[in-house]
Amino acid sequence: MSPLMGGHVLDLACPPDDVTAVHTFLESVWDREPDVSVEDRMALELALVELASNVIEHGAGGRPVSCSLRLDVGPEDVRVLLTDDGVPVPVDPAKAHLPEGLAESGRGLALVQMVVEDLRYERVADGNRWTAHRGRH
Amino acid sequence: MDIQVHEVSSDTAVLECSGRLNMVSAGTFRETVATVVDGGRARLVVELSGVEFMDSSGLGALVGCLKTARQAGGDLRIAAPSEQVQMVLKLSNIDKILRTYPDGDAAVTNWG
Repeated sequence: MSPLMGGHVLDLACPPDDVTAVHTFLESVWDREPDVSVEDRMALELALVELASNVIEHGAGGRPVSCSLRLDVGPEDVRVLLTDDGVPVPVDPAKAHLPEGLAESGRGLALVQMVVEDLRYERVADGNRWTAHRGRH
Repeated sequence: MDIQVHEVSSDTAVLECSGRLNMVSAGTFRETVATVVDGGRARLVVELSGVEFMDSSGLGALVGCLKTARQAGGDLRIAAPSEQVQMVLKLSNIDKILRTYPDGDAAVTNWG
């Protein structure tokens, strides 16, 4: 990791933590990274809350799920890493698409795809690993 | 999130929302709308100027509430979405489904 990178980490245990902790974490990140644009903040908050929501929803087979979120704010882009010890997620983010108009769920990953680049999902050891980045605007 | 219900006529209500419409609050939002519609007001204006964040859980709740309102013979409109909410409505194409008005006053008339 380049010394220019600003790394910010949040560890969650759900329950009792929920996505409110992600919002609060990002407020503190923007306080420390005041030159990240409003457009990038909105995009990254949407992406991270959607990914964390998926983790909380899929869970860890009845036991609490631990989730770690890392944001590296660099001069050119922001890198996102989210790991958890939950159940495997049967998705291919490259195939995420918006459902029909009146569907009440299934939009999360498609929205994430629209606001970040190179969204990847891997099953690693006993957990899940999501990575993405976004060029700064 | 906080939801203030304003009963503007016998069949119309404005729901003034503030805070975040996400997986934490979507259930409360759906329940509030169901109570308002059960009470006889199925023409709903959801005023979103105070909602600083909405995600796919919030979109799902809005679409669900649109169905609830239509099934009861009414409709659901959005008023004054914040910049973040406008972004999410546009990305998801829900801006093609939910009619958006500049403010609550413009949205409460001419239901046709």
